[in-house]
Amino acid sequence: MKFKGAPGGSVVVTFDEIEVQLMREVPEQLRALYQASDADPARERLFPRAYLDPTEEAAEEQWVELVHPELLRQRLEGLDALLRTLDAGVKKGKRTQVTLSADDVNLWLGVLNDARLAFGTRLDISDDTNIWYSPPDDSMAAERAAYAWLTTLQSLLVDTMLETLPD
Amino acid sequence: MTFVMTTAPLEVQEPDVEDVTVTDKPWIVVVWNDPVNLMSYVVFVFQKLFGYSREKATRLMLQVHQDGKAVVSDGPREKCEGDVARLHAYGLWATMEHPS
Repeated sequence: MKFKGAPGGSVVVTFDEIEVQLMREVPEQLRALYQASDADPARERLFPRAYLDPTEEAAEEQWVELVHPELLRQRLEGLDALLRTLDAGVKKGKRTQVTLSADDVNLWLGVLNDARLAFGTRLDISDDTNIWYSPPDDSMAAERAAYAWLTTLQSLLVDTMLETLPD
Repeated sequence: MTFVMTTAPLEVQEPDVEDVTVTDKPWIVVVWNDPVNLMSYVVFVFQKLFGYSREKATRLMLQVHQDGKAVVSDGPREKCEGDVARLHAYGLWATMEHPS
């Protein structure tokens, strides 16, 4: 991955073939997770409760009914937007150069964060986890590598966005 | 990713006089520590959603990280419901409560 910031929060990212492949798989997996009906800790992390107080159950239910369809709609829109910007990427041999406007970066950040939350739940990431270390015979080595790579990309994109906000 | 919050239908109850001080207290929105969300991302979200300065957003992020949680906004119930929704849209772990 080659990353180049441009003025106003836009960026040009050049992805290797395998990275483009990952970025296409991510929306597919998230789409399935968002719409999964079974109880899933990763899905619960993406759609947490609003009310801490269990006696506010009626308010919680009303809030979920009102807000979750909109949150889901926005998340699905983010996935579509990410795929669209990938499709619009310019092929340079085996690499793909993707230009993202500041709005695109904002959408990508949402998708990347959801992907990291989903992987992070599966991998049981804690504050002490060294994301660059893969234990021997790691059955989740692919997920761990994906998580680390998504973290790098998200971090670069966040720094770009922070530059557009006041100090 | 913006989140336009529609106003929650609210049951209006005529408060008893002795309830007034309780119901007038604002609700608070709490963001909880999370091992996945990047520190820089949390600062970005606080600035973007609440218009906080870099300094205030960073202070709140550090409080979340070190104390496990921080109060990031307060106000009437509907306003806090909207803030929680917007925080959830960005993947932050936020809840709301009414301090007693």
